[in-house]
This record gives sequence, C-alpha cells and structure tokens, in this order.
Amino acid sequence: MSALANPSPFEAALEADFNARSGTSEAQAAAFDRFAKLRLPNRRVEGWKWTDFNAALRSAEPGDAAEADIKPSPFSALDPLEFRIVNGRIELPDEPVSEGLRYGVVNPVATIPDLEDHPIASLNVALARKALGFEVSDDVAFDRPVLIRHINTGGGFSFAQTMMRISPGARLRLIETYEGEGAGFYSHLFHMVVRDGADFRRAVCQDMGEGGIVNSICAAKLDKQAKFYSTGLSTGSRLSRHECHVHFWAPGSSASINSAALVAGERHSDFTTDTQFRAEGCAVSQLHKGVAKDRGRNVFQGKFHVFREAQKTDAKMAANALILSDGAEANHKPELEIYADDVECAHGSTVGALDEDALFYLRQRGLNENEARALLIEAFVGEVVEKFEDEALRNIFASLVDKWLEQQ
Amino acid sequence: MLKIDNLHVAVSGAEILKGLSLEVPKGEVHAIMGPNGSGKSTLSYTVAGRDGYDATSGDVTLDDESVLDLSPDERAAKGLFLSFQHPMEIPGVQTMNFIRTAMNAQRKARGEEEVSAADFIRLIREKAKLVGLDDAKLKRQFNVGFSGGEKKRMEMLQMAMFEPRFAIMDETDSGLDIDALKMVGEVVNALRGPDRGFLVITHYQRLLDYIKPDAVHVLAGGRIVKSGGPELAVELEKSGYEQFIEAA
Repeated sequence: MSALANPSPFEAALEADFNARSGTSEAQAAAFDRFAKLRLPNRRVEGWKWTDFNAALRSAEPGDAAEADIKPSPFSALDPLEFRIVNGRIELPDEPVSEGLRYGVVNPVATIPDLEDHPIASLNVALARKALGFEVSDDVAFDRPVLIRHINTGGGFSFAQTMMRISPGARLRLIETYEGEGAGFYSHLFHMVVRDGADFRRAVCQDMGEGGIVNSICAAKLDKQAKFYSTGLSTGSRLSRHECHVHFWAPGSSASINSAALVAGERHSDFTTDTQFRAEGCAVSQLHKGVAKDRGRNVFQGKFHVFREAQKTDAKMAANALILSDGAEANHKPELEIYADDVECAHGSTVGALDEDALFYLRQRGLNENEARALLIEAFVGEVVEKFEDEALRNIFASLVDKWLEQQ
Repeated sequence: MLKIDNLHVAVSGAEILKGLSLEVPKGEVHAIMGPNGSGKSTLSYTVAGRDGYDATSGDVTLDDESVLDLSPDERAAKGLFLSFQHPMEIPGVQTMNFIRTAMNAQRKARGEEEVSAADFIRLIREKAKLVGLDDAKLKRQFNVGFSGGEKKRMEMLQMAMFEPRFAIMDETDSGLDIDALKMVGEVVNALRGPDRGFLVITHYQRLLDYIKPDAVHVLAGGRIVKSGGPELAVELEKSGYEQFIEAA
C-alpha cells in the first residue's frame, strides 16, 4: 500500500480510491508509487509552471460524477462511428462491427515506458479501469470517421485509456471531442502506433464548460514512412491541457501537429507537445495559434528532441499569439534539443495585439469595429483550421470558431 | 459636396493641419499637391476617421452633414472611400469574401438590399478586368504577396465596386508604371459624374495627364496656400514646392 506524504484532499481521495480496489496489478501499484513520488504537478515543476493541476484540484470537490443530458455533437453530421467515454465509462456504438476495424473494451496498458516520469500518465496507469481498443487491419483505408466523445458531466475524477494500432498501409480518421459541463477531473491516456506506411489523422475539439479540468495525452509511435496528423481547437476550460508525444522510431515518417486556442473569461488552454526523432529523414511541421481575451490564458509548449542518429531531420515550429485584453496571457515555450548535425530545425514565436492598421482598413471599407475584429481573429486562427484537408470537417471547425466569435 | 472648414488636427500632440479649408463641389475632381510632411496623409486619415487623428477645431461635411462624429464604417456607409497610400496585406482574409462582406455591410447600413452571390461575382469579374487584375488574384488572401502596383489595382477595384459618393485617393499614383496610371485614369473617368466627387492627392503632375482636375490646391505647412486650375500642377512640376514651404 502506498502512502502520500501530506496529501491534498484531492490526492487523499485518489489514494483512498486506489487503496479500496481489489485485484490491482503490480504494474498498477508501481505506477501509483511513481505518482506518489511525483505528485500532482504544480507551478514549481518545469513543464507545468503555467498549468498548475495541484492548485486547480485543491479546491475541486472529490465527489461523484452526476449524470446529465448529453447534447448532440456537431460532428454527427459526418456520420461517424461514435464512441463515448462518459465520466470514464466506455460506451461502444450500437451497430454491427465494421469490416477492417476491430474495436472493443480492453484492459488498460500497464506501463508506458516513455511516460514514466509523467505524473498524470502514472496516475492514469494506476487508476484507469478500462481502455477502448482499436485495430485497423493491414492496408485498410477506413474512411468513415471514428468519433470519440469524452464527456465530463459531474464532479470527482475519472480516468480512461484508448489504445490504437494502425496496421501497415492502413488509414484512419479520428475525431476526439472533450465536452460536458462537469466540474470534475478527467484524464485520458491515448497510446497508439502508426505502422509502416500507415496514415492517421486526428482532429481534437476541446469544448468543455467552465468547470472542467482535463489532461489528455496522445502518445504516438511512428514506424517507417508513417504519416501522423493532429490538429486541435480548444476554447479552454477551467484547466485544460492536451499533450501530443510523437516519437519517430523509423526513417521517412512525417507529422503535422497543429493547434488553435480561443480562450476568454477565466479559461485556460494548454497545448504541449514533445516530438522525439530517433531515426533518419523524418519531418514535422507544427503551427500553434492562440487568442486570449479577458483573463484567458493560452499556453503552448513545443519541444523537438533530435537524437544523434536522426540525421536529415526537417522540423519546423511556429507559435503565434494574439492578446486582446490587458488581463489575458500567452505563454510560449518553444524548445529545440539537437544532437544530430545534418538537420533543419526552426522555430518562431510571436505575441501581439490586433493590427491597428488592418482594423482601420477594414472599417474604412464598411465593417464595424466588432465585425473587423472578428474577421481578423478568424483569419488568424484560420491558418490552423485550413489544416483540415476534409472540407466537411474543416467547415465544422470553422463554424465552431464563428460560434466563439459570436459569443464575445 | 465635401467641405473642409478651418480644420485643425493634432497627431500625438503635434498640430499637423493648421486651419485647412477646402471645398469640392459635386461632380468635380480636385487635386492636392504638396511637399512631404505637409499634412496630405493626415488630411485623408482625418476625413476617413482614423483613431488618433482628431480634429481639435473646424469641421468636415459631406453634403452638408458633419462626419467628424461618425465612426470610419459609418463614414464608409455614407459613401466616403479612401484609396490608401500603403494598402494593407491581410493574411487569412479571402479577397472576394472580404469585399462582398464590406459591400453588404455598407448596403445594410444604408438600408439597401444585400448583393446576391451571383450578382457579386459578375460585378467583381467585370471590375477586375477594368483594373487589370486576373481572377486568380481575387481568389488569394487579401493583397498577400501582391506587388505595389497590384495593391493599387486592388484599391481601384474596390473603388469601382463600391461606387462611393466621394473618394479620396492618397498617392494612388506612387509606384505605378504608365500602364497602371492609365488604368487609374480610366477608373476615375468612368466613375466621374454629376453626383460624385474626388480628391486626388499626389506629388506629381503625371497622374493629372490622365485625370483632368477641375482645380488644383497646394498644401504646405498644414494649410492650403494656393489654389488654381490644372495649369497650377504644370507650374509646380517646373518650379517645385520651395516657394510654398517658405510661404507656409
């Protein structure tokens, strides 16, 4: 049995939950031990200095999740194969199994070697009861989108995992939404492998209510000539952090990792990525756009770690932030750690206000101040929305941006 | 039509326009010429309503209605158009979408019906041909990667689309080659009419070979120091502004 020294009420509730379980595996116990050492991350821990889970959860009610009505999803228009994880409980679609895609509820992973020093990943491994498992068969292009709706309706805490294997030559489109008005803490650990020549495209929509506290981790391992795309849009929540850990293990793979944040009120959005290059000739392009107003906080941390064997790496990162109010924040940390000598790596970061010259120009043409501001913000974020190649998907994300702008 | 009466304007605390008076009657084209720093751009920004260009005294009226208390978009809806000396590049804004949105915003403010998508496309294609911009440019982001000349063509395209009551053209000729100058002349001459007025701000007489002004004014030291007919522009080209700088 583990023991946390001086736990916060929330940590004590996590510990009580863990200790009350029967049949925990050694691996889960080891994971809880790691968490007991790492604890809930706070601002004194580099990598978490702008996204303090310990502070946010200190005042969170460790109560039970309440059931609530589930709203229709804007992504239903794409006729997706829909899965739900409601307060950590997995719901499979009520339809016949699709050819080329196997899925089901499986036991969670016992360890994720690359994330052993990650406090919330360790906690997830210790506490997640079930995982949603997927496997796309060799050379199958599964073109119907898969939708996973993570719905947080209550207080308390919940943990879930997703595991996915995109077999050689296969293709899958995934949409993940994080939604619900709950004030609980939700942790999702998504562990996947994109095999040789496979193609995986992920769209993430973070649209929780103001109370939600969420950490999602997508850890992807890419094999030879695999393609990985992930583009996320976040309107934040009380505390929201979406992480993408992409590891290139074999030559010739590529990834495009993009994110846009629109945060108003007291909302917080964090996109953190860690890209590790361990093989030759891999390429990444990464773009982040953040808009913060009122007392909203937009965090972006992007790291490229190029190992010595990863010659001919081509990695580009750009992060641009707009600040619309005096109390709003943009926090960027681009990081390059390069041990190979024949690589092209670049990063750029800008923070600014809306361009007054452009605003005046638009107003001279007849747009009122709100219309002119909205057009410029839409254009700013539009560069990320354009990353969705599928037109119908792109239009849904564009309409979510419009909806946000209308609410301001 | 446009009447500027004893206008004083301070920018960042410094007085730039010092009692400027000017009247452009309906149906006329007036040119303003003047040395660098005489207040030409300040005049155009003030009339268009840019923040930070505030009249400390005097008035600007369009058809006897003061515009100084109106926002830039309200002035645009009244039919006031400014062709910018340095047109903006606006990344991410689709050209056609923007021009249509602007056109409809003006119409809506005037209580007119919005232009339909089909009518709009027909109109913009026709006007693009007039100003010498190919269709591919209309599908791009607004002015992004355009040459200086192309940006000025985009200004003329919008002027031709909006058909403003009164247009101020702030050094539209700067950076243009002869063919483009001719085009500007054609656009202005096509729009010239009994109910429309133009104020053409320029350094050189060249543009006035294509747009015959009804009057020419010399702006120096924040005031109109001399007014005359088209022959004044020719005289200025020969003798320069020095006499006026001293006079101001």
